[in-house]
Amino acid sequence: MRKQIKSEKIKVKKRPTAKHKLQTENSKPVELKQLVCLLGNEALVKEYSAAFQEKGIAVQELKNLASLKTSAKKITAAFELTLESNGQKKKNLQAFDETLPEHVPIISSSLTETILSQSHLLKHKHRFIGIAAFPTLLAHPLVELAPSIHTSKEIADVVTALFESIKKETAMVQDGVGMVMPRILCQIINEALFTVQNDVATPKEIDDAMKLGTNYPHGPIAWGEMIGFANVVAVLDALFQSHHEERYKVAPVLRQMAIAGIFWKKEA
Amino acid sequence: MAISIGIVGAGTMGAGIAHIAALNKCTVSLYDINEEVIRRSVERINFEMKRSVDKNKISDDDMKQALTRIKKRTNINDLDTCDIIIEAVLEDLRVKKDLFKKLDQIAHHTAILATNTSSLSITSIASATKKPERVVGMHFFNPVHLMKLVEVVKGVRTSAETITQTIAIAEKLGKKTIVTKDTPGFVVNRVARPFYTEALKILSENVTTVEEIDRIVKKSGGFKMGPFELMDMIGNDVNFSVTESMFQQFFNDARFQPSHIQKQLVEAGMFGKKTKQGFYNYEEK
Repeated sequence: MRKQIKSEKIKVKKRPTAKHKLQTENSKPVELKQLVCLLGNEALVKEYSAAFQEKGIAVQELKNLASLKTSAKKITAAFELTLESNGQKKKNLQAFDETLPEHVPIISSSLTETILSQSHLLKHKHRFIGIAAFPTLLAHPLVELAPSIHTSKEIADVVTALFESIKKETAMVQDGVGMVMPRILCQIINEALFTVQNDVATPKEIDDAMKLGTNYPHGPIAWGEMIGFANVVAVLDALFQSHHEERYKVAPVLRQMAIAGIFWKKEA
Repeated sequence: MAISIGIVGAGTMGAGIAHIAALNKCTVSLYDINEEVIRRSVERINFEMKRSVDKNKISDDDMKQALTRIKKRTNINDLDTCDIIIEAVLEDLRVKKDLFKKLDQIAHHTAILATNTSSLSITSIASATKKPERVVGMHFFNPVHLMKLVEVVKGVRTSAETITQTIAIAEKLGKKTIVTKDTPGFVVNRVARPFYTEALKILSENVTTVEEIDRIVKKSGGFKMGPFELMDMIGNDVNFSVTESMFQQFFNDARFQPSHIQKQLVEAGMFGKKTKQGFYNYEEK
């Protein structure tokens, strides 16, 4: 029974209009002014902020939770973009849920913890939806979303419309760690680093080979650096935790790069 | 100085290598046991070159000259004067080892013996010869005349001189090279493996559909093709056997585990575009 409800929610049949409308007393629709608030990973907040502002949507980059209260009534969508599922992310989500009006969607990065798990102890589970927020991906025209079994159709529609208003298509996928693109991408980067680890070729040769031999948009190691190696490791570790499968073990040199924050140097 | 290149096996890869070698002013001896295979191969080269002429990439004269440089050979002993012999036969270690044993006997003593294998051990192939220091991997990508890369693979006993000479020859053919160690899948097939296997794993977990994974990978990652379209184009039989071979060569490391979904497609004869059915249906309605 549950499965059926879930699959119904995942299908995005109706494409609602870009701006979300309210009926007034004389039933003349007025457009609600959008205000998107963003909190979490600094690089992601920057990317999302730029993407919304570029299309004329007002953005509030929250420095901390204290500043949330003053604008709470004006916020129409809230993004929690902390990649790792840590204590701060939990606090942020709880504050969002307690402070923001009930109809406001809360869109949370769900690459290292499912949106179901993030929201299941919170009061308004229906308004949480996961997003594959991963550095560099917002440059492309599609955004991956993951509703939990509790996410309402209305919330999914509003979030879809919000992305349509900034000219992004959406894909709804099942709520699982890593979702689709970040999961494939992290595994490619991981294998590139295993190849470095085994001294099969130099990092530069590996990147050149992948661009020339397979037409990848970036060399995997340079791409990993753009994403941040720590973020790649966070997704891989979460996949290992959720699956308990050896295929998600992290290349030791990748883990070192994640800690040191530097590009691997052969001569070092 | 014109380089004389021998090519063994006139299939898709052999034809592609002959095509670029002839265009880059090398003399080409294109060998296959089957005369009919060579004839069709030269026909294909003709067709591809014609397309390049139509696109103004080469002149009509370039094409005519290039075609005169390709000699059809059905006697392997005629490869005795080649500077390099590049093998492009089927991916079977036994077949390749037998062939290299034979090539070692007939080739000029300074000739380089190269294999275009994408998944077998250069070191193992070289062991069939008396001059393993002259044996090297030269991994071209399909379609050869469009893909810029050659992986130059150094077997355990390949000499530094052989590597230097092989790089020079590849550059003469207009290619960019990287040098890799002789480990399963070298660089490209290995690092590209998760593009297929992780997509299959995601599909097996019912995260979303074949069509959606392809759409997401193209439109949220900027890849030219989705993994399932690409597997259908490569052929699920070929793609599956490469994964399976790498899985075995890495001693069953879970990172390279093949997928039941793809295995079943292979068992069903649904190889992809070439059989009109794979992850997608290509039958004309």
